[in-house]
Amino acid sequence: MDARKRKSISRSLERIATLELMLEQIEQQPTELGHLYKPPLENMLRQDRKTVSCVENDEPFLASEFTTPVEIMTAMGVHWYFHLERAFSTGGIPDSHMQEDLEAIQSMPVPMDLCTFVRLSFHYLELGVLPRPTAYISMVHPCDPISSMHAAYMHHSQWRDVPMFMPDAPYHMDRASIDYYADELRRTVDFITEHTGKTLEIERLREATEETNRCYRLWLEYHDLRRAIPAPHGPNLARACTGMVMTEGAGLREHGHLEWFEDLVADAETRVVESRPEVPDQRIRVLWFDFLPVFADEILPWMERECGAVIAMDMSGNCPFQLIDTTSEATMFRGLARRALRDPVMVRQSHSTAGEILAEMARLVRDFRIDGVIFPGHMGHKDQAANISLMRETCREAGVPFLSIGMDSFDPSYTSVDEIKNRISRFFAGAGLN
Amino acid sequence: MELGTESSAFAQMSHATQTLCNPTLQSWKGQGGKVVGYFCSFMPLELITAAGLLPFRIRGTGSTSTELADAYLSNLNCSFSKHCFNLALAGEYDWLDGLVMFNSCDALRRTYDYWVRRVDTPFVKLLHLPKKTDAPQVAFFREQLADLRTQLEREFDVEISDTRLREAIGLHNETRRLLRQLYQLRRVKVPPITGSEVLAVTVASTAMPGQEFNALLRTLLKEIESRQATKAYRARLMIIGCELDDPRYLEVIEGLGGLVVGDSLCYGSRTLWHSVDEAAEDPLGALASYYLAGRPSCPRICTQYESRDTYVMKMIRDFQVDGVILERITFCDTWAFEGYSLEHDFKDRKIPLLVLEREYNHLGEGQLRTRVQAFLESMEG
Repeated sequence: MDARKRKSISRSLERIATLELMLEQIEQQPTELGHLYKPPLENMLRQDRKTVSCVENDEPFLASEFTTPVEIMTAMGVHWYFHLERAFSTGGIPDSHMQEDLEAIQSMPVPMDLCTFVRLSFHYLELGVLPRPTAYISMVHPCDPISSMHAAYMHHSQWRDVPMFMPDAPYHMDRASIDYYADELRRTVDFITEHTGKTLEIERLREATEETNRCYRLWLEYHDLRRAIPAPHGPNLARACTGMVMTEGAGLREHGHLEWFEDLVADAETRVVESRPEVPDQRIRVLWFDFLPVFADEILPWMERECGAVIAMDMSGNCPFQLIDTTSEATMFRGLARRALRDPVMVRQSHSTAGEILAEMARLVRDFRIDGVIFPGHMGHKDQAANISLMRETCREAGVPFLSIGMDSFDPSYTSVDEIKNRISRFFAGAGLN
Repeated sequence: MELGTESSAFAQMSHATQTLCNPTLQSWKGQGGKVVGYFCSFMPLELITAAGLLPFRIRGTGSTSTELADAYLSNLNCSFSKHCFNLALAGEYDWLDGLVMFNSCDALRRTYDYWVRRVDTPFVKLLHLPKKTDAPQVAFFREQLADLRTQLEREFDVEISDTRLREAIGLHNETRRLLRQLYQLRRVKVPPITGSEVLAVTVASTAMPGQEFNALLRTLLKEIESRQATKAYRARLMIIGCELDDPRYLEVIEGLGGLVVGDSLCYGSRTLWHSVDEAAEDPLGALASYYLAGRPSCPRICTQYESRDTYVMKMIRDFQVDGVILERITFCDTWAFEGYSLEHDFKDRKIPLLVLEREYNHLGEGQLRTRVQAFLESMEG
């Protein structure tokens, strides 16, 4: 293997070693919820190993995005990895390079006001530590930083010669827009076939979609159980749901994803019935109206312990997903298109109109009997920051207090953890919540 | 001598650039004419013109603060969107009869969200603008325009026939042709017009009835035929970037000896370099094809960096450009990576490039002078 290839998988190999160690620790020190926390890690490990194997053995594989329907790639029998997931995973999987990466992006010739997540993701490309795929399925939504970054990917010397397809995501959700995106997905299939030789059999797509439907149905059930007071679990297991439905295997039985969802629902049910929550002494139910920062482990336990506050819902654990009608090819593509255009995390709160976002916020506040809403105000989410005034208005109408912090969800040096805790603490006190 | 003193045609255009509701617009309104605003240069003006309406490109001209808009848009949003929205909140755009927007960028789609809630413009629409230029995107864009056509007809009780569309295409193509003529004058060693003056003309073209503007431009072209350039310059520059509608920005650069001879701006060459196909059987299709795929794009179109690069390189050659300035309004994500790619490519090609951050409606003259001065010196050295 040449040096370039070796470097491209170096970070994947490091993460594999870290995941193996984490799993070993779970084995050695069993906890009550270890059976639920272990499979998502095993899933990541399996994905990383497969990606490395593809590179080592020159097998075709794709880089893809969280908006590309996994059902299509699963049904086509082609391996893929989400390269944007790397920056996110530093939240749960220790990454010894995080600090050096954050320092490196300071000197990258792109504006400092640009989303840190996007700068990190581009830095990985510059550094040559992203496995170089056979072809790449990109995305133009949910926000400008993502689409402009992908435009630069196309031109960067590292991946310039990697064929890329970028489905164009319409802004509206009328029938014509959904049909248009469904056609973009069909063109995605053609693109994959052209570059990997893999074809799509509709029966196989149906099988994969029915399997993810089963997973989503269970996630929806779990979503409902999270309405209970006290909430059966903290936010981490709900966040893991995203990973479990969006990876290879979700569409097929072999990796036990469905069983994990069944186990998750059963555990939540038991905890609700027995009033034995994962997070004890819950006094404040919080809606964290975005994804949690990668350094959430420095904040959440403090919130739970010191303030009695539980994240009853956040936008990674939110399950607005609708099941897909598998009657025909047309209904499947339309359903997959609709889902990709509105449901995934970040897409939901960024690509939507203000009306949709505010309706979502109001619904979550009502359904989850929220006591206070925290909008982290990640510096890269400029489009969401523009909604702060409307969010505040929505919360006022719903009778719940609202806090906008202003932080960098990937870099705690932007707003320190102490400052974030201080803001949250004053918010709870000021609103009379503790 | 200043061009504004020499030419009354230019003086009128320059005045239109420095104000919002300029005298020709007031006269149009006074005669019962209606005005439809738009933000983004992807808007097919011909559709508005064919409806008997006057297209006006929204600017933040004259805005000195964003205190009203700050209550809505955040400190992470660009100053262009905030100044424009501030003016709207202050009632400075009350004379608009309609507003058509695209999801051009994150800041503008959020501006739309507030505009429909907080400003009483009678007809406000948001259309989807594709981010690439393949045939399916052109077809989808055409459908968006067909919907807009129907909505304009209904709202303003007019018929936008294919004949009227063709007439409007002819009118706007004439504007483009005349503007191209103006641009060609800048290729020579001593151009008769400066970059800031050209910008004043192109901005005026978005704020006046097409026929009046064309008449003024014809006059101006005649007047400057034999004009002598007044100043020597140190370098011939090209300016690339986002929303730039203030000629004073270029005046500062040119005052230091950097003559702006070319541009890739949405108030500049990108909107006039080519024309709409007047012979097309389907005029609406011709508009969709032209606006989305038939002319130089901005980075909003994700897949066209290579063609933008080719376009810029050709202009550098044809207009004998010595150096390029890329300007970006702070917080603009659309332009965030364009500088990155250009920096790498220009370095390889040994083309001097200066990347500038700026605030809309705030020249930051001191810093601008320092940066440009240093840039010019680096080219001379």
